[in-house]
Order: sequence, then C-alpha cells, then structure tokens
Amino acid sequence: MVRNRLLALIGVTMGLGLIAAGCGGDSSDSDSDASATVIRGTTDQPISYDPAGAYDLPSYDGIYSMYQNLLTIEPGGNEAVPEAAESCDFSDKANKVFECTMKDGLTFSDGSDLTAEDVKFSFDRNVEIADPNGASSLLANMKSVEAPDDKTVVFNLKASDATWPLVLTTASFAIVPSDSYPADKLQPSEEVIGSGRYTLSEYQAGQQTVMEKNTEYQGDAAAANERVIIQYFDKASPLKLAVEQGDVDIAYRSLSPTDIDDLDGAEGVNVVSGNGTEIRYLTFNTELQPGDDDAQKLAIRQAAAQVIDRQAIADNVYNGTVQPLYSMVPQGVEYATDSFATEYGDAPDVDAATQTLEDAGVDTPVPLEVWWTPSHYGTASGDEYAEIKRQLDESGLFDVTLKSTEWNQYSTAAFTDKYPTYQLGWFPDYPDADDYTASFYAPDSFLNIHYDDPEMNKLLAEEKGSDDPAVRSKAFERIQQIGAEDAPTVPIWQADQVAAVRDGVEGVEETFDPSFIFRFWLISKS
Amino acid sequence: MNRSGGLRTYVLTRIALAVPTVLILLTMVFLLMRVAPGDPITAALGARLPAKELEQRKKAAGYDKPIIDQYGEYLGQVATLDLGESVTDNRSVTSIIKENGSATLELTLAAFMVTLMVGIPIGLLAGRFRDSWIDVSGRLFGIVIYAFPVFFLGFLTQLGAGEVGWPTSGRASPIVDFDLDKITNFYLVDTLIAGDWSAFWDVLQHLALPALVLGLTISGVLIRLVRVNLLQTMRGDYVEAARARGVSERRVVVNHAFRNAMIPVVTVAGLQFAILLGGAVLTEETFNWPGIGSELIRYLNERDYIAVQGIVTVFAVAVVIVSLLIDLINAFIDPRVRYR
Repeated sequence: MVRNRLLALIGVTMGLGLIAAGCGGDSSDSDSDASATVIRGTTDQPISYDPAGAYDLPSYDGIYSMYQNLLTIEPGGNEAVPEAAESCDFSDKANKVFECTMKDGLTFSDGSDLTAEDVKFSFDRNVEIADPNGASSLLANMKSVEAPDDKTVVFNLKASDATWPLVLTTASFAIVPSDSYPADKLQPSEEVIGSGRYTLSEYQAGQQTVMEKNTEYQGDAAAANERVIIQYFDKASPLKLAVEQGDVDIAYRSLSPTDIDDLDGAEGVNVVSGNGTEIRYLTFNTELQPGDDDAQKLAIRQAAAQVIDRQAIADNVYNGTVQPLYSMVPQGVEYATDSFATEYGDAPDVDAATQTLEDAGVDTPVPLEVWWTPSHYGTASGDEYAEIKRQLDESGLFDVTLKSTEWNQYSTAAFTDKYPTYQLGWFPDYPDADDYTASFYAPDSFLNIHYDDPEMNKLLAEEKGSDDPAVRSKAFERIQQIGAEDAPTVPIWQADQVAAVRDGVEGVEETFDPSFIFRFWLISKS
Repeated sequence: MNRSGGLRTYVLTRIALAVPTVLILLTMVFLLMRVAPGDPITAALGARLPAKELEQRKKAAGYDKPIIDQYGEYLGQVATLDLGESVTDNRSVTSIIKENGSATLELTLAAFMVTLMVGIPIGLLAGRFRDSWIDVSGRLFGIVIYAFPVFFLGFLTQLGAGEVGWPTSGRASPIVDFDLDKITNFYLVDTLIAGDWSAFWDVLQHLALPALVLGLTISGVLIRLVRVNLLQTMRGDYVEAARARGVSERRVVVNHAFRNAMIPVVTVAGLQFAILLGGAVLTEETFNWPGIGSELIRYLNERDYIAVQGIVTVFAVAVVIVSLLIDLINAFIDPRVRYR
C-alpha cells in the first residue's frame, strides 16, 4: 500500500514537472541576460587561478581577465606597456634595476587598495611557494623585489635582462591582494580576488568558469560584456556540436583542422583566425642522431631541413590553418627572419640535400628514427609525421622509421637521451624572440640535445643584456642564421589562432595576436 | 545453529572479507600508478623546463621518496578519509567526489531506471509468450543492444539528436548550470527544490540521452535473465497448482511466477551496478558528462597519482559495498544462502 502511494507520488511529481516544463519558456529566459553573456567552449582546462600556481594557457585566460599585471601587451602589440603601473623602466645602465611607479586609486574587487606592497608580496610568494605547476622558474634572474613606498616597486636582477618587462606581462606574475592571499600556499581557484575587469562568480572544475564584470575596476577599457562563461569539453567533437547548436558562442582551442573545415560555412557559424605564435619543430639529439662524426651529423640535419616540404604539410595535413615556418622565431614576433628559407630555399631541394650528404661522405639512405606523440600535439600529429616520413623517404636520401608513444612516457624519454629525432611544440612564455631562441639554443636548454655553440651563447647573452633595438636586431639575425646553419632544431609550422564563432559575436579577431592573451573584455554579442 | 545466529555469522564474515578486498584494490591501484611511466610534473612541464628543474619540482612534491614511504602515507590518508589534493589542478579529492561523483550517480541512477523499465517488461513478455514473435523480438533486441558498445550507441544517438537540436553534451545549458543553486549537486533534485521548471526541463533533456544509451546497453542482460527465470518458475509445481485451481494466466504470471523469478534478478541487478559505473566512464566521455569517470580519465592521462588513487578508491569501495549489500539482501530473501 505504502509502496503504491510512493510510486503514485513519484509519478505525479514527474508528470507535473514535464507538463510545467512543456509550458515553460526556454531556459535562456531565466534570470540571466543571455545577450550580455559570452559563452566560450574549450577543451583546455585550467590548473589554477592563483597566478603562483599557473603556467598554462587555460589558467592564463582566467587570470588575465580577473587580475592586473604591472605591465601588459595591448591587442596587436608586442611591447610591454603599463597596466597597474603608471610607468616602468630600467633605472641603471646595466639593465639590472627595474623600477615601476604604480597608478593611483587602484583597488581589488573586495574593495581593498592595491599598493606596491601587494606587488612585492605577489612576487615574493611566487618564489616562496615555487609551485610545481607554476612559473617561478621565470623569476630565476630576480635577486629581490622592494616596495620602498606605496607607489614604488623596485626589482633587483642578478644579470642584465632586457626581456624583464615582458616577463612582467606574464599572467603568472599578476598582482594578488596581500591581505587575503596566503604567503606560503596557493589560494583555492574558487576564492580568487583580483583587480581586473572581471570577478570570479563560480568555478566548477571540468564544467565551467563564470566571471562577471568587476564594478570596482579602475583600469583602461572596461569589458564589452557583462558576463563570461567558459564551458569545458573533454573532446573537440562535442565542442564542435555545441557551437553548431548555439550552446556556446565561441569554440576556441582546440578544434581539429577537419572540424574547422566543416564549420567554415556552417549555418550561423563563422570561422575567424588571427596571427598565432605556437610552433612545431623537429628536434635532433646531436649525440644520438645518425652520423659518424660532427660533420656528417650536421650534413644529415641540413639535408632533412632541405627536404621537408613545409607548405605541403600546411596544405595537406592542416588544411591551411597553419603556416610554413622558416625560423624558430615565428612571424609576428619582433626580429623574426626567414633564416631557413634564406639558407636552404623556401621549397624542398633534393639535389642540394644530396650534394650536402655527398660532401660529408654520408651513405644514403640515412636510417632515421623519428619519434612523435599522439597525445599532446593534436590529433593531426599522426598525419603530419606520416607526411614527413613520405617526404624524406621519397627523396631517396632517408629511410625513416616512425615511432610513437603516449605523452607521459614521451615527455620523460625525449629529454633524457632516449630519442635521436623527435617532434616538439612551443607556446611563448612572453612574445619576444629571446623566448624562441634561448629556450632551444642555450647549452642548458630543456631540450638536452647537447648543442653548444660559443658564438651562439655569446649572442644570446648579448640580446638578453641589451634593450637597444639595434643591438638586439643584429644579435637575433645572427642567432637565427646560426640556428639555420647548424639546424639542431628544424622549424616546421606556426599555427594561426582559429575560432568558430556564432553570428553576432564580435571582437574575437582583435584578441588574436602573438601575445596569446585571450581578451574576453573585447568580445561583444548582439 | 539457530536462524538469527546463522545470519549474524554470515553478515560478519562478508564484512570481514570486504576489508582485505578493499586493501588489495588500494595496493594494486597504488602500485600500478607508480609502475606506469611518467609523473604529473613531467606530464605538465616536460617540454618546457630543463631536467634539473623538473627533478627539483618532483622532489618538492615528494615523488622522490621511497615507494614504501609513499604507500604508508597513502594508506594513512585513506584511513583518515583524507584523500589529499590533486597535483594537476589543486582540487581536494573529496570535492572531486562530491561534485563529479554526484553527476555520475545521477546518470547511473537514471540509467538504472531505464534498465529496469526496459529490461523487466520485455523479459516478462518474452517469457510469458515463449516462442512467439514477441519472444523472438525481445530476445533479438536484448542480444543486439547488449552487443552495441556504449560509445557507438552514443555516437549514433548524438547524430540523430544533433539534427533535431536535442542537447548532446553536459549536464545543463551553461547559463542554467550557473544559475542553478546546487544544494544536493543532483541537478534534477536541485531544479525541483528551486521550483524552476524550465531549468528542470533543460536538465532532463541533457540527462535523457546519456541515461538512455547507458541504460539500454545494460538492459540486454536483464531481458535474458528475467525471461529465463520466468520460464523456470512457470514450470514450478506451485504454478501448476495455481493453474489447476483456475487462477487466470495473468494472475499466475504476475502474482506467483514473477516474484520468485525476481530473486536472482536482484543479485544480477546489483552486479550490474559495477558494470554501470564502468559504462558511465565511457558514456561520460561520449556525452561530455562531467562525472567522476571522465575526470578519472583526465587525471590518468596527466598521471595525477593522488586524484586517480582517490577516485579509484571510491569506485572500489562503492563496488565492494554494493556487493556486500547484495550478499546481505540475498541472505535475507533466500534462506538457502545463509545456511550453506
């Protein structure tokens, strides 16, 4: 009897629910004003919204929106310009003391004042916490930071560093309130406070981040929308469906080239793109690679660089969503050249490669073991490396064996002398040529490929130590030239930033620039 | 041995056996995670920081400690119900279980309802009308639906649903999700508490496809089981006796045969719970359902020891508890079990 009543009650409740639901309006008629809310779908998941725990693009997307840095990069720009600072500059000739004066009247979203002390606190705690997922390693050159008064911040550097202003634009060094953040551990992502254009309303890991316009924001150019929702997807396929169905306004990172092709021209959806500085390259471990001596090893690297057809990879594998890359410094970053095109031509040259190998006495075909990973650099990696193998094999100069493994194994083995030749990619820490050269060509590079060239090392120190554009330009030109001649790494392509947006969504193109800052505040929806 | 003493001994034995079962599972999870190549630090920053810096970070995180020390710490944490914090996104494992676990449970319960609502009636009809076209159709449906992989069935329904604008991913539309006051973290319940019927409809729409796909797949087993059990009980003496007394065939099936046919079904339905949890992982991946299964896959890919250990521990304990409950229910409803 009781059971029957219970079942009846459940039935009536469900029935009423369905009837009422049928009579109810669309969910978008709820409290929220849908037109003022911009919804971005992404497969990228943030690690932390505390700057001290972030060193990844998805976290940076939230941090740039909710905090301010001393310096920032304006849309389309590539120089550090003041944000929370009124002005910043080196105060000594050696470029080892960097002084900033803060703007007046800045406040955090909780109403507390933002002072120089907060800036000092933010940098000190970043170093103190040294979070495994954080970017404290970028502060290795910082000897100390001082706040002599409420408006002045002084950075004392261990060595001359012209890239320091750009380092300060990184989201990892956003300013946090000293009153409410712990000095020795991370603030939970759900409880972050900043002085940026938005405040965090909700963060559900793996589901969504919701940010609303900060009414206390004191800086330039307030947000063009009232609220931003970042909706997370496990894979690209449901993300593609979501933008097609209008569940999200923007699908950005990471749709496959095929998805982008499908969406281009789909009803109600537009594909927009802009300059990107994400690169892919082929790496040679100069000790493990084939070749009897250094001259033969050099010839083999040069021949590979001569034979690879970058344009074919861009067209056939990526449907034109990437651009051929002829220097480790991508186009769009200041001081970028086309050194590989200058050195070897911008089209494959098998005859020249044959001559290069013959001159060094290399027997052909050269057996080349090339490693790639299917789980880190996108779903098209398999096709990309099949194409590279085809090109190298068809030249008759190489006999390529492709090998692949999951990222977890790959990321250890590649950098511990296990792979002779392997696939890699790079996002900039900051949009400066230094980040694309010192990271790969310095003897202590993470690549661990045993490349060590005295002239290169001298030039890297020179560009880092000088803020004179003429000096840096000359140094970077030569660095890229040596990089092409020695070819320890062979650039393959640089990606455009590509998003699928619904009709009526404006401003996404404006935020696509080499800085990789996704500026939600520029985006509006009609 | 008297009746209550036998039951008590049986219950205590089953509970005592559950403890080493859980311990073995925890140990296996711990060892497998450590044996597998990679670690969370290298997985996140391996192509960015020099090996020396990575080693320093691994040391700071305690990954250089002897395995036995790490194992001791792990068991200590489990014993105090402190499952730690994920390495890759600094979430407490407790909050992962609470937030994502509720999504999985909501999906699993809805799927289980689909399983029962489809499996039992079709099984009964197939058994009742043996060798008729109803029986053949029911059996064929059971075999075919069980043979379909969850992700394939999910993909097919997504294609169809996408065409008609039915939601195919997530638990709710982004704005509904944000506006919803999450009291229980069971979205259907929360929308009912809020009295927000349009949100209820939105959530129900999002739940329908994944629950249907997962529930249908599992229902194949139930169809065959109910049918076979009904056929066996229909051959029982007491059924013949009922028929001889002139009881209608409908009453014979519903009041006499059906109840007895359900006894083994309770056991198998309980075991299906573990399969549902496994199936939920695939279903969540297919429908972008933010459950604990999809989180488990993400953390596995990132080699997040702490999160994986915590989630698998909860999975293991849940399955052990359900198995224990099934044993106990069986012992209550079937005297042969406790006197064996």
